[in-house]
Amino acid sequence: MSAHAAAAQPAAITLRGVTKRYGGHVALKPIELEIAEGEFFCLLGPSGCGKTTTLNLIGGFIAPTAGEIFIRDERVDRLPPHRRSVNTVFQSYALFPHMTVRDNVGFGLKMARIPSSESAGRIEEALGLVGLETFGERLPTQLSGGQQQRVAVARALVNRPAVLLLDEPLGALDLKLRKRLQVELTQIHRDVGTTFVYVTHDQEEAMSMSTRMAVLNDGRIEQIGTPSEIYYKPNSRFVADFIGESNFLEVETGSQSGVVRLADGRGVPCNSSATGRATLMVRPEAIHVSDPHDAPESSLKGKIVQTSFLGSQTRIAVSCDGVSLPLTASQFGRERLAARELTPDREVSLWWDADDAVLLAKESMEEEVE
Amino acid sequence: MANAEVTPSVPDPPGGRKTARGLSLGRLGQYGGFLPAIVLFGLFFAAPLGLIVAYSFWQVVDYNVVHDWTLDNYRYFFSVSTYAKTFWATIWVSVAATALAIGIAFPFAYWLVRYIPKRLQKVFLILVILPFWTSYLLRVYAWLNILGPEGAINRFLHWIHLTSQPVSFFLYDRPAVILVLAYLYFPFAALTLYASLERFDWDQFKAAMDLGATPFTAVRKILLPQIRPGITTSVIFVFIPILGEYLTPQLVGGAKGVMIGNLIANFFVGAQYTRGAAAALLITALIVVLLIVFRRSLEVRDAYAP
Repeated sequence: MSAHAAAAQPAAITLRGVTKRYGGHVALKPIELEIAEGEFFCLLGPSGCGKTTTLNLIGGFIAPTAGEIFIRDERVDRLPPHRRSVNTVFQSYALFPHMTVRDNVGFGLKMARIPSSESAGRIEEALGLVGLETFGERLPTQLSGGQQQRVAVARALVNRPAVLLLDEPLGALDLKLRKRLQVELTQIHRDVGTTFVYVTHDQEEAMSMSTRMAVLNDGRIEQIGTPSEIYYKPNSRFVADFIGESNFLEVETGSQSGVVRLADGRGVPCNSSATGRATLMVRPEAIHVSDPHDAPESSLKGKIVQTSFLGSQTRIAVSCDGVSLPLTASQFGRERLAARELTPDREVSLWWDADDAVLLAKESMEEEVE
Repeated sequence: MANAEVTPSVPDPPGGRKTARGLSLGRLGQYGGFLPAIVLFGLFFAAPLGLIVAYSFWQVVDYNVVHDWTLDNYRYFFSVSTYAKTFWATIWVSVAATALAIGIAFPFAYWLVRYIPKRLQKVFLILVILPFWTSYLLRVYAWLNILGPEGAINRFLHWIHLTSQPVSFFLYDRPAVILVLAYLYFPFAALTLYASLERFDWDQFKAAMDLGATPFTAVRKILLPQIRPGITTSVIFVFIPILGEYLTPQLVGGAKGVMIGNLIANFFVGAQYTRGAAAALLITALIVVLLIVFRRSLEVRDAYAP
């Protein structure tokens, strides 16, 4: 990954203690963030979590209440948008309807007073990058949504910014087109090597595209990491809940290694060094389902509540003794064959590898309840 | 009735059977709906206009209109230097007043749309049209009081000891006419500009700045070309009525502030109907030329092609 290879280079973006308040409302609590050169970095979170605020702060459309923003080690938080080496792809595309595609793409070059001999070539190059070489003379309104989106990307990239900001650029498109453009955008990112900062509320989009991502909640960064780090090692109940699906169990950690205990003393697998009360998180696909007498010692006994066949997987809801909510297990591939016999009311045992369970600190849970 | 089978969605007219007579009546009924408009338009627009055109080519002999066709009325108008001068003055006073009205209305509408919450925008718009609740005459007289020798401006200048005698510069000349006309037509300009600015996609403005445009360039290159139809509409709403103004020039302009509206009024008061008609038609011709020039700007299709 280029992000880590380029550690000696200055970071593409650095946020230090950046805060944004609107009157009494805190949109962004002090955040620290470093995005390396060449990363495809996603800001992920539910609406109102501060991800678009963060993007607007980097783009210069709003000023931080406190803190410093650096782009390639140059402090920019006092600079207006047109003096920053960032370009933005807006959710609404914001193409200029009175200009042709070529003039739209060339607008930034014109503003930078690039001679037309040079800009003509760069416009063609940018249009080629997004596969719209033959659309230069069209007006934006004569293009489909996906094509407009690609014009917006070309228009932003033609200026060769240090960072490209993308504000939910696929939000207005239907699912199939979204998927295709996700692949195209990652390809474009690989081709140009520019740092991308991508805002989305769609966890699947963030997972599939980003090299690293930050999960935001309530104006705060919950966790920063690669998609797999975030998925397998969430550090809070919010992250575990927001990314993918999870089962949560209230447990007490004790002296015995590889096992934690439920309230009624039943042991379940988990590797943990911590002690005290905690929440155990385990993903549905990590749960094994078997006949009670085939199960290892530390497993949960329960009764199947519902079995849903979903094509690539079969999901089983199991109501277990000592656990308030039914646990969800997913069966894939070969396991699925066995799943046919998993009819409701059948007695089964559930267990998982101790390494697949993640212990989450208790306070994050209480904060969410509040 | 083979047609009915192909397009079953078209219902038969009540009564069902279509005889030849029924068909032609139906055809007539189609256009019959225009009849009130045609009558209204003919009676109150085409006929009077035709009459004025005819009058402008006739002559007055001994206070009677004689139906002798001639170009004398037009020739006369341009042969009297005061009239010709007034004609050109009318144009530049109207241009200046329109420019002033729009020059104030545009920043106002821009500020309203961009910086004022939606709910409060309505309040400001009501404030803009509030003057319409009082009579035109009253508003002009109010300006007489502000600009006059005993008016607010002179009293203020006296109070700060800048002048010892009342200054009449503010009244009874063209600057006063331009100022009052701009005031009177500001609401029209503000409302039409607000309507087009309100629909503008301000993300484009953000995008332009993001691409390196200064706010001023963004207004010039992105905003103005797109609200051109709105600007043209407000120019038409303001400029054309101002061309025909005669009360304001008379009340605040005095002898030095005369516009062509006053000339036309004087011609008719003096029973010089044919000369008055010719002067009125000159203004009309000017407006027609302007509308032809602006015709292209009004085509919204350029900016928002389907």
